[in-house]
Amino acid sequence: MVAYRILLFGYGNHGKFIAKGLIEDGFEVQVVVDNQQHCQEAVEDGFNDSLEIDITKDEALKALHPENYAKLVCVMENEHLNVFLTLSLRSLFKECYILSISDSIHTTKKLQMAGADKVIDMYEVSAHKIHNILNRPVATRLLEEFVTRKNGIGFREYVIPENSFLHGLMTDDIDFSRFGLLLVGMIDEELGEHFTFITAGINHKLDSGDTIVCIGEKKYLDDFGDTVQKRKIGNLGRKK
Amino acid sequence: MNQTLLSFALRLHASKRYRDTKKFIRDILNNSNNPYKKYIDITIIFLIMSSVSILVYEVKHPVPEWIDIYDIYFVSFVFLIEYLLRLWVYNDVTEPVVNAYYDARFLGKEFSAFAIFKKGLKEKLRYMLTPSALIDLLAIFPAYRPVRVLRIFVLFRVLKLLRYTKSINQFTQVLSNKKFELLTLLFLLIFVVMTAGIALYVMEEKQNPNIDSLFDAFYWALVTISTVGYGDIAPVTAEGRSISVLVIVAGIAMISFATSVIVSAFSEKLSELKENRIIEQINKSKSFLLICGYGQMTKMFLREYASAYENHIILEKSIERMEQARRDGYDAINEDASRYETLKKFNTVLCNITLLCLTSNDVENIYITLNAKSISKRIKVVARVNDGTIASKFIHAGADHILMPHTVANSMIHTAITQPVMYKAIHAMLMGKSVARIDEIRAYGCKGIIGKSIESLAFKRAKVLLMGIQRDKTFIFNPAPTELVHSRDILVVMGRKISLDYFKSLYEEERD
Repeated sequence: MVAYRILLFGYGNHGKFIAKGLIEDGFEVQVVVDNQQHCQEAVEDGFNDSLEIDITKDEALKALHPENYAKLVCVMENEHLNVFLTLSLRSLFKECYILSISDSIHTTKKLQMAGADKVIDMYEVSAHKIHNILNRPVATRLLEEFVTRKNGIGFREYVIPENSFLHGLMTDDIDFSRFGLLLVGMIDEELGEHFTFITAGINHKLDSGDTIVCIGEKKYLDDFGDTVQKRKIGNLGRKK
Repeated sequence: MNQTLLSFALRLHASKRYRDTKKFIRDILNNSNNPYKKYIDITIIFLIMSSVSILVYEVKHPVPEWIDIYDIYFVSFVFLIEYLLRLWVYNDVTEPVVNAYYDARFLGKEFSAFAIFKKGLKEKLRYMLTPSALIDLLAIFPAYRPVRVLRIFVLFRVLKLLRYTKSINQFTQVLSNKKFELLTLLFLLIFVVMTAGIALYVMEEKQNPNIDSLFDAFYWALVTISTVGYGDIAPVTAEGRSISVLVIVAGIAMISFATSVIVSAFSEKLSELKENRIIEQINKSKSFLLICGYGQMTKMFLREYASAYENHIILEKSIERMEQARRDGYDAINEDASRYETLKKFNTVLCNITLLCLTSNDVENIYITLNAKSISKRIKVVARVNDGTIASKFIHAGADHILMPHTVANSMIHTAITQPVMYKAIHAMLMGKSVARIDEIRAYGCKGIIGKSIESLAFKRAKVLLMGIQRDKTFIFNPAPTELVHSRDILVVMGRKISLDYFKSLYEEERD
């Protein structure tokens, strides 16, 4: 399995956006569609090896060898077909990571029952966003800009490598603003998959293998990607 | 005479104070959205009720003199003032005079102020002859107790309640829609009563000792046809009884007909009455949400946050969907939000209205946005945009915030694929989960922070993460420790709600 290979089902409103973004991030995307028009659009957009198949046939799905992809993304326009596809993929490929989109409030539960590992519920996300707009308009707009990296500021996650200068330090001892960044939170490998926000007020010890999420300008995020690999960086990381 | 009238009209017309006062009084007496109208209504209702109670009490008990003075002089005086004010604000007599004067001067025509003035007075007279104005006039006169028949004036005070009691008002309005049917019924009733009365009088005048006159016969016919049947007058001959049978059958038919007319009038108007009541209720609140469309987005929003927004109303142009919304327990009205008249029903002057355009049709949402902004710039519009390529058109139309569900969902999927750990963080922040709540602190609402440097503020103590400062149109990410907070700054922070509240309280206390 190659970590950067994604099998994308559907090339409608969602498929187009996701495929384009993944290519920009250096992923290898295989587009699979169920109609000629979407196939043609995908080819026109540069996805020359796009496949048009009958996704209701197990043989056609098996022939794609989904097990060779890191993630299977189901974003078909037809919600019934999307649920059916998710169910077929799960029954055929137990180990694969399946991500689906829900375009209807009744579909989320069905997709989860069909076996999707993660379901993005468009309406749930939007409902929360409306609430946030009404209560915190500025913060909501900025957060969206951070997520879509519109204003040059974004989030990035780093896995602390072995021998990194961060290994063994406490989160309270490091001033990330000296790198032009803010530490948002982390996953302490010893404690499992749980993401801990820095605002929870817990002083964590960082170890190699832990994942930290920072926010900042792209330039500083890139620089920190190199810095985190370093064994020592003098006193820069420590507060006075 | 002409000259005096003209100069009088010109002087009044030029006075801003006069126009403002008249506008204010017209509004307070007639505009149900005026916040002070309810106090006027309550006062008048109290005066009516107290006046009627005094008369009823006085029938068997002596009352102190001051109560008599209150009822005869005070209540009557207030009603007189009210009557005169209503008459004054009904129309403007001076404006047509002034306009006609300028028109005549422009055309070099002869001008008669008196003729125009007379027209204005005729208008006022027309108002004075309306039923409600007549009731107001007669209600001024106190019920003169020593003369029994003059006590009838108290009835007009009770009738005055019609103007101030919405439900009675609505009842008469509903019935007025069935005027034709009810008048037909009334004429039929009169015809049957007269025919039966005359027939009984002719048949039994000699035989029946209870029938002395034609009035007795009419009285009997009415009592019988209404199925009341007191029994004080009853037919004694076979002919008379035969007439009774016919009158009873006609009475049952007429009562059934009247009932069905009234019921159908109400069922036709019920929905409208309900909607008017919902609009009146929401217009009383200081701020509320108008949600356009009852589709999946609205359902999800209300499922999650209905309790957080007590004052909200759904505008749905499809009857089925509107009924579905009502069945789901929400206040909904069957109206098209893209119509000017629909949004005009809401109090855009005194209330803070936020309009959520959540229909699935972009064209409709943009039209609703324009409609709202054309009525009042104060209406805050949050518009849903399905096709991201036309988002700029919404901004151009005046939408304050844009919601692009596809873009948000696509970004989430992209993050979930590319950075699954970060997805958890972003998802929690977008959902506003407890520790990941991104909020904003407005400096003018937390004056203690103004003029202070970032390093001197207790972010760490309150366990709050400062992400940046929104200053005018610029966002300063991760500001320098020496940066000072300005009065119009918005601090964008992350933290638990209790942390944010604690931080705010630190500087609110300091200010105090």
